[in-house]
Amino acid sequence: MAKQTDIQISICGSAGDGTIAVGDIFKRAMARAGYRVIAFDHYPAEIRGFGKCISRTRISTNQVYSMKSYSDVLVSLNDLHAIPHVGEVRDYGAIIYDSAPMSAVAEGAHISGHLMPGHLPYALPIRELSELATGANRSRNIVALGFIAGLYQLPQQAFHQAIAAKFETKAPAVADTALAAFDSGFKSGSSTYKFDDVQIDHSRARKNGGEVRMMTGNGAIAHGCLEAGIETFFGYPITPATGIMERLAVEMPRRGGRLVQTEDEIAAISATIGAGYAGARAATATSGPGLALMAEMLGLGVMAEVPAVVFVSQRGGPSTGMPTKTEQSDLNLAVWGGHGDARRIVLAPTNVEGCRRCAARAFEMAEKFQVPVIVLIDLYLSNRYETVFLQGEDNFLPKNWQRVDSGAPGDNYRRYELTADGLSPRCVPGEAGGIYTATGLEHDEYGHPNDSPDVHSLMSEKRHEKLRDAMKYPGINFTKRFGDKGKIDVGLLAWGSTFGEALEAVLLAREEGIRCAAMKVVMMSPLPARPILRFCNDCQQVLVPELNYTGQFANLVSGELGRPVTRVSHATGAPMDINYLLTAIRNAAKQKLRNKTTTSNPTKA
Amino acid sequence: MIPEQPVYLEDKVDEIRQSGRLAYRSTALPTWCPGCGYYSMTEGLVNALTELRIKGEDTVIVSGIGCASRFPFFMDTYGFHTLHGRALPVATGVKVANDKLTVVAVGGDGDGFAIGCGHIPHAARRNVNITYLLFDNGIYGLTKGQVSPTSATGFITPTSPFQNRDAPLNPLLMLLSYGASWVGQAYAGWPHHLTQLIRQALEHPGFSYLHVLSPCVTFDKTDRTYQNLDLAVRELDADHDSSDMAAAMRAAADTNTPTLGLYYAEKRETLGQALDLIAARAAGAQRIKRATTRHRQRKTPA
Ligand SMILES: Cc1ncc(C[n+]2csc(CCOP(=O)(O)OP(=O)(O)O)c2C)c(N)n1
Ligand code: SF4
Ligand SMILES: [Mg+2]
Repeated sequence: MAKQTDIQISICGSAGDGTIAVGDIFKRAMARAGYRVIAFDHYPAEIRGFGKCISRTRISTNQVYSMKSYSDVLVSLNDLHAIPHVGEVRDYGAIIYDSAPMSAVAEGAHISGHLMPGHLPYALPIRELSELATGANRSRNIVALGFIAGLYQLPQQAFHQAIAAKFETKAPAVADTALAAFDSGFKSGSSTYKFDDVQIDHSRARKNGGEVRMMTGNGAIAHGCLEAGIETFFGYPITPATGIMERLAVEMPRRGGRLVQTEDEIAAISATIGAGYAGARAATATSGPGLALMAEMLGLGVMAEVPAVVFVSQRGGPSTGMPTKTEQSDLNLAVWGGHGDARRIVLAPTNVEGCRRCAARAFEMAEKFQVPVIVLIDLYLSNRYETVFLQGEDNFLPKNWQRVDSGAPGDNYRRYELTADGLSPRCVPGEAGGIYTATGLEHDEYGHPNDSPDVHSLMSEKRHEKLRDAMKYPGINFTKRFGDKGKIDVGLLAWGSTFGEALEAVLLAREEGIRCAAMKVVMMSPLPARPILRFCNDCQQVLVPELNYTGQFANLVSGELGRPVTRVSHATGAPMDINYLLTAIRNAAKQKLRNKTTTSNPTKA
Repeated sequence: MIPEQPVYLEDKVDEIRQSGRLAYRSTALPTWCPGCGYYSMTEGLVNALTELRIKGEDTVIVSGIGCASRFPFFMDTYGFHTLHGRALPVATGVKVANDKLTVVAVGGDGDGFAIGCGHIPHAARRNVNITYLLFDNGIYGLTKGQVSPTSATGFITPTSPFQNRDAPLNPLLMLLSYGASWVGQAYAGWPHHLTQLIRQALEHPGFSYLHVLSPCVTFDKTDRTYQNLDLAVRELDADHDSSDMAAAMRAAADTNTPTLGLYYAEKRETLGQALDLIAARAAGAQRIKRATTRHRQRKTPA
């Protein structure tokens, strides 16, 4: 009986080989054909030159949450770059390469000399096929794509459509050339005897039903903003968040939205807070260095109780760090960054669909709780592609706040009225009867500056307690448990993009007979301590995997819960390594037999 | 005759308010030192708003931090007392969010030309349709008298005890070269002139910058005092042409005589108009034409 399809294909080449482009066609074709797709590309850090490009795509019939730790198929468009990646191909997996590369190669520089015993090679005259089909060698990438499609009997139609869509804006001849190249590869693949054990059972693919979109995390955030009816956006470009602004720059004006590229991040957050104060749905997007610049203004947003949304995509730090590598090291800054007691809401989605939902809900929450909301992701989530199914459209709420015309003359409006839930009525400029001055100074219910001890303690309490209900806000799962139920040996507490790898590792560990589960935490501030504590109490050992050196989430959790957890920190600039996590789970399961109490990892204190 | 009981202003406020003479004034009394030049700004803005019949609820005063920036609390309009140096970007956000509002940014010389100096060129070049009232006392008033970027060389303050050796900035020349579409200078000691300039600045469609020379009577006893300024200031020549950028720059470059009046004014596309145009372009070429004519129509009467 055919199994569920779950394979990962890597295409490796040099910048200029069309590696990323062909990977793009592949994932879109597979999404069209009804598979769930998750893909993460590797680009060289430099804009020019012949750096290494890898396009990795995982396709499956079930929902998956991360990339796999290995690939089933590797395609080499440039042996020099592909040779170091031969090892990521599993046993009985396939390696496809050019039997006659562009130029004569030195001994050892051809990939065929580097295959391992379990690898099954397909040496193919890629360049020759390209030249025969199109009269040029430029279409090697598409020939290779056609070969894969033919070899694994993938639906040719879906690829033709994806190719046509890709070259839609170019001259018709470009698409024709690409189609010819594809078909020649397809023919070659169909007539090749397949002797690897990579199975793609097309009968299991999802048939129609609902709209499927391929989106990156950044694209999903832009999508969520538009669904929420974003009105103003102010931003300053920074990798990896720029994509959000570039997408919105195209889409917002079409819907009457207004977008301004500001002179720096301080201006971006200042204008966002100004627009929020004036009643618009306002957002900005940045990365760690920009968030550091925004810290003072976020404090004003908290103090003056102004709604605003800040999207933050983390990259390797500190300082300029590794702008094109991923890391989860701005959690401290997002949750605590700035001066004074300035509690804000921080949401950290774990996948692309979550980016869309958190983005849209962030506007609602900012309005409801009258506070800046940070949506925290990382480069890995910003740039990775996933299929998003839009059939179950969420109902995002339109702009709505408690407009209260006090009827009070002049500035007698109690904008900061102390209420049972800490939420006060809110007016915006232009409304009569609501005149007030928002300020960063401590103030009384009218907003008048007041630094008396009573006022400061009551108002501090108000600003913190009003966020208590944020943990009950509908429409987002702020925590969710996966895997074994009840008492377990090892529990993984994970956040952000790392959750996918954590779940993957848990599923693998369960196959080995280890009783384990994973919990995703989406709300970082205020931290939903109760469900997290319940989960921790079920676990003999709690592991907190994350992409940073100091274990920022582990520190946050153990601080709020008063309970030790084990850090599984991984700060390499790459997504979490599933095998590294699996080993940590195995060790924890073994350790449980020796030692019943949990301790934190002494080497990473 | 001396009254038996002293009369306090606080006790008279309601009476005065009823007389209608405190329109646009909030219930809070200004916290400035008696004699501070900043009182002129309340007077000036109140009179200008009254003359232009702009409602308090349609006006937003955005300020930074400093003595000057305390202003919004004393006005019965919407206000946002923000962070040191950030009045302009916050005001830009307010204006972009709601073009119908009259937005006035207010701040001191430290607020505008030290910590917030990076924002001025951008507000100017984008031609955000707001009015920026910069009250220049050549000193940090709120933090008790330190040297500022517009303090004279040689000025002695607690942080420049051996004299300030830095050269002062020339704000008017900067604003002219940044492309501000309306640049003027006023003096707190000439309140009627100030009111007229504030009024013109509010009426200008685009970014209007009004530099107001204002004595800090508490911390500056030697340099920018009423006595010194009264003697030094003069008005721009009667035949000054405010569409002549070179003439404006020549007047601004003469730092020996602080010259008051409207230096330069031009009409050009504002940020709001630019964003409307972008929206029209995004909606399709057909609508670009209509949007452009709409802007042209809107421009003429202003
Ligand atoms: C980030 C920050 N740095 C420093 C201060 C302290 N501070 C408050 S007002 C001020 C200077 C005020 O001078 P100016 O802007 O000229 O206003 P004035 O008081 O003279 O009207 C300073 C340094 C602050 N509030 N915030
Ligand atoms: S300290 Fe100076 S600037 Fe501040 S209120 Fe007093 S006189 Fe005015
Ligand atoms: Mg000053």
